[in-house]
Amino acid sequence: MRADFLDRYARGNTVFHRLNPRTKLLLVLLIVIGVLLTPVGAWPVFGCLACGVYAALVIAEIPTKYILQRIGLLLPPVLGLALSAPISRGFQGGWELAATITCRSLLTFSAGLWLVNTTPFETLLGAMARLGLPNRFVELLAFMYRYTFVVFDELARMRTGQRSRTFSKPGLFALWISNASLLGMLLIRSLNRAERIHGAMCSRGWTGRMPEQS
Amino acid sequence: MHIPDGFLSPAVCVGTGTIAAGTLAVAFRKLDATLASRTVPLTGMVASLIFAGQMVNFPIGLPVSGHLIGGTLAAILLGPWGGCVALALVLFVQMALFSDGGWLAYGANVFNMGVVGSLGGYALYQAVRSRIAGPRGVLLGGMLAGWGSVMAAAACFCLEFWLSHPAGEFDLRKIWMLMASFHSLIGVGEALITGMILSVVLVHRPELVAAQITSTNPARIGRFVWTGVVAALIVAAFAAPFASEYGDGLEAVAEEAGFASHATESTGPLLNDYALPLPGTDRESPLWGKVATAMAGLLGTTVVLLLGWGLCQTLPRPLTPREDVHAG
Repeated sequence: MRADFLDRYARGNTVFHRLNPRTKLLLVLLIVIGVLLTPVGAWPVFGCLACGVYAALVIAEIPTKYILQRIGLLLPPVLGLALSAPISRGFQGGWELAATITCRSLLTFSAGLWLVNTTPFETLLGAMARLGLPNRFVELLAFMYRYTFVVFDELARMRTGQRSRTFSKPGLFALWISNASLLGMLLIRSLNRAERIHGAMCSRGWTGRMPEQS
Repeated sequence: MHIPDGFLSPAVCVGTGTIAAGTLAVAFRKLDATLASRTVPLTGMVASLIFAGQMVNFPIGLPVSGHLIGGTLAAILLGPWGGCVALALVLFVQMALFSDGGWLAYGANVFNMGVVGSLGGYALYQAVRSRIAGPRGVLLGGMLAGWGSVMAAAACFCLEFWLSHPAGEFDLRKIWMLMASFHSLIGVGEALITGMILSVVLVHRPELVAAQITSTNPARIGRFVWTGVVAALIVAAFAAPFASEYGDGLEAVAEEAGFASHATESTGPLLNDYALPLPGTDRESPLWGKVATAMAGLLGTTVVLLLGWGLCQTLPRPLTPREDVHAG
């Protein structure tokens, strides 16, 4: 499993990493709802919340560079949509609404970032199952999470092969073709693998349901 | 495409979440009815495949690059219900692992991309495939469905965003114009990527999608219903800008309810006219915007059809009897 970039910071050991995952999940949901219900232009409230979330991120030892990177990826679509408020009224007002929407998304996004980077996926899944996420869905998620590492490893192997066969940097068109055939091959191999896994599971007594775990 | 929290009001989140949960419940029952023991590993694998596939970037010569969204691909491989579940899984993992897409907006995301994207995309795919036989139908249907599902998801988002701001801070038509222009590009990319992947599979392992070709051919009534859904989607997406009664109707309601003066006070010129504040646009005529939106739709469809035709030429052609004679 080389795909550790999936949850690099979630396996730390700070106060927040040790906190009960259900508490964390409910806390984040509370913050999200609170932020959504905060009226437009209530800057002191947004400021306080931002300070709180940032402090939580720092205490959880999540690097600021990583946070800024993620926010940088989120910002363009958020700004684009927020700016449609002033655009809708011909740049005469609407700026406060745009700023509020941007603030709301950044705040809730940072809170979510804090949650997923202090809680490993399987812990979070367990917490959600206890809070009433349907069993079938949890089963499928567990399967998918396990397969993800397998598929990522397969993809990494195929890319290594692709790179070692390509001597020069390919052009745009060639890159599209090679990437598409890479994905097509990945699809074929994954489906073959799913067939094999299914056969192996059936021979071990799989009936379509996870056995009850006590 | 992933809606973060902060855009939609809690009411809209709850509404879309309820629809999404209901659809997923139906999907699970449908899947249980088919082949329960095989469904779980296969759906899980396709979901992680799409998740991994989104990591492969398709550069477009700009700092931004495109990637697969995969709703249609999942629906083609697993059928509409399986595709819907697979997309819900992908969206969940992206939320719980990367914080991509909001926690409260998860229902809306599943609704847009899973329910509308996958089920609607599959409807479009079926409609094309029942008219064009063989691998070409699969390819063209998949590409058109990829494009259509992106546009439909964008349209749903516009509607949700607009409903989330009930005081009328946003003009539905302008948001749709903004979204339609960007997403017709994204949709063409999605169609092209889906088509290229499908053509690879059709060349090397046609039976992976061919199983679908024979097994789930809907009955005549089913086909009729699917076609109807597709027609409704297309009309809703691209004819909506021309149906200007709705916006005016809202104004009329506002006036009747007696808060029109208040509304105009607080929101400025929004409710009075909706001309685009672009240079060269006549503020008196809102037609420009409508034409632009419809153009985005038509242009996108044409480009996708042309690309699909091109990709079809790369498929190995089955020998017709006449060619057989020539070859012999």
